[in-house]
Amino acid sequence: MSPTVNLSTGERRPLLRPGTSEVAPTADDIVLSTQHVSFFYGDVQALSDISLDVHRQEITALIGPSGCGKTTFLRCLNRLNDMVPRTRLEGQVLFDGEDLYAKSVRPIDIRRRIGMVFQRANPFPKSIYENVAIAPRANGQRGNLDDLVEESLRRAALWDEVKDKLKSSAFDLSGGQQQRLCIARAIAVEPEVLLMDEPASALDPVATQAIEDLMQDLKRDYTIVIVTHNMQQAARTSDRTAFFTVDQRPEGRVGVLVEYDDTNTIFTNPKDPRTEDYVTGRFG
Amino acid sequence: MTSFHLKATPADSAPLPQRQGARARRALSRVDPMRVVLGALALIPTLVLAFLVYKIFSEAWPAIRFNGWSFFTTKTFTMGNLYGSALEHRNGQVAAGGAQYGVLAFVLGTLLSSLIALLVAVPVAVGGAILLGEKLPAVLQAPLGVFLELLAGIPSVVFGLWGVYSFGPWLSRSVYAPISHLGLPWLSAGVSSNGQGLLTSGLVLAVMIVPIIASITRELVRSVPGNTREGAAALGLTSAESVRVVTLPFIHRGIVAASVLGLARALGETIAVLIISGNALNTYPVSLFAPFSTMASTIAAMLDSALTDSTGMAVHSLAEVGLVLVSITLVVNFAGRYIARSLGTNVPIGRGA
Repeated sequence: MSPTVNLSTGERRPLLRPGTSEVAPTADDIVLSTQHVSFFYGDVQALSDISLDVHRQEITALIGPSGCGKTTFLRCLNRLNDMVPRTRLEGQVLFDGEDLYAKSVRPIDIRRRIGMVFQRANPFPKSIYENVAIAPRANGQRGNLDDLVEESLRRAALWDEVKDKLKSSAFDLSGGQQQRLCIARAIAVEPEVLLMDEPASALDPVATQAIEDLMQDLKRDYTIVIVTHNMQQAARTSDRTAFFTVDQRPEGRVGVLVEYDDTNTIFTNPKDPRTEDYVTGRFG
Repeated sequence: MTSFHLKATPADSAPLPQRQGARARRALSRVDPMRVVLGALALIPTLVLAFLVYKIFSEAWPAIRFNGWSFFTTKTFTMGNLYGSALEHRNGQVAAGGAQYGVLAFVLGTLLSSLIALLVAVPVAVGGAILLGEKLPAVLQAPLGVFLELLAGIPSVVFGLWGVYSFGPWLSRSVYAPISHLGLPWLSAGVSSNGQGLLTSGLVLAVMIVPIIASITRELVRSVPGNTREGAAALGLTSAESVRVVTLPFIHRGIVAASVLGLARALGETIAVLIISGNALNTYPVSLFAPFSTMASTIAAMLDSALTDSTGMAVHSLAEVGLVLVSITLVVNFAGRYIARSLGTNVPIGRGA
């Protein structure tokens, strides 16, 4: 059972967790937990009643057809949707048991602990070195950041390619290199969770392979949540998979969570026929 | 087949009978008349500029001969006695008796007032534009943007009137007078009751060029990829840090270009400065508060009397002042281009998110 002890309301609501886990997770296992999360862009509902637990040092994949709200859901996890005007979230997101959307919580503090890599590489218009060093420096790290920059670039498997041109612009790098630079940038602040929004969708197979290898490597220290359109990628890389889909309702199209389980189960023995249709390619 | 083909292809021209001149006609039909017309149109601004510079230069030529180098090194600009019979002869040129022409005070006045305007306007305009483009909700952005554009369109004479009737007297009373009592160098002499002087002019010029720089900067801010801005937010950077690492590096070249545009406006501004400068002649600006003159305002102020100079040298000399002004504006433009280019990283400006 998921922890509900830290709910600020104190209310114990039944957790409608679709699917089942073989092993009941302990509270310590769960880094992020969303409870009945619904999300609205203005009057338009994008997500309805999503409850999902993200387990520590695992890779959780979010899959589903276009427009099912996977990315919106991912952006709820670091409050990046706060930047979009007139959006609203109902339900709760717990991060290490704490309410992420509590009034006292500053989004900036969250984002330093929950990093994000975007669909399209978005390096800063600065040097390669600066791209990695900016966030640690903003967090108050003083002195020589050379070691940290090197370490982050090494872990992002980019060091050997850029070590001789750290001062040159990040825009000189190829698309795949830029994406790995963005990963290095994200892990330089030592986040607990890394959110990845289709990080390889714009990359060629070789660069994609590099990113996937990297994810396995990073899993030892980080918890990763990845949105992907690529089902092979989800099957190859993730420990657990959540399948989202679009629910046609009278008020409009709303994203819902159909099934969440071990990746193996989702791809070989899904419980919901909609999941089966999707993973076998009969839909989407 | 005598008409042009807009899009002549080999297949089009193939059926032409192979007689003498067919090849030439085919070559001619490949010339796109649209390109010729547009090319000619594109040349017009260049030709106008060249023609203008040539005309000013030829008008100024007698003055260049008469004044020599002292034109650039002296501050006294007087047309002499336009009604006397004595004449001044120099280098084969004739001017009214006692005529003496030096541009240096006006050059200093122009450069200093424009520099003040630039120093005040750039931070205000860039800061305001970034605030407008990034921090304010969309419902406020549009009306404030329109307001900015309206401000850019207000005739400069209105700014001049505001400066001399309202802004200047207020500055003189509330700012200049108290400060001048401190007796600091550059901040004491020459305070007039209506505030006419260098600093007032610089500030009014700043108000005039802020909308120019700000509206361009606002467009630049809009072109910054939202994706990159989100990347900064996702790292937990504050909005101030985001401006530093994302917005400014993306737009700094454009800011230089916008500033040069604003500076060019300030350098050439005539009527507002004429009203607020105090129109001091034959003197260097003695303090930030003191009256002065610029090249543009002097040309406007003196042209009427200059036309009565029967030797013509007064008009020639004003043309020479104009020539210096044009040269400075051109130099500023090229310097701006050079700075913008040297700032150049290969930032892909305008590549949307």
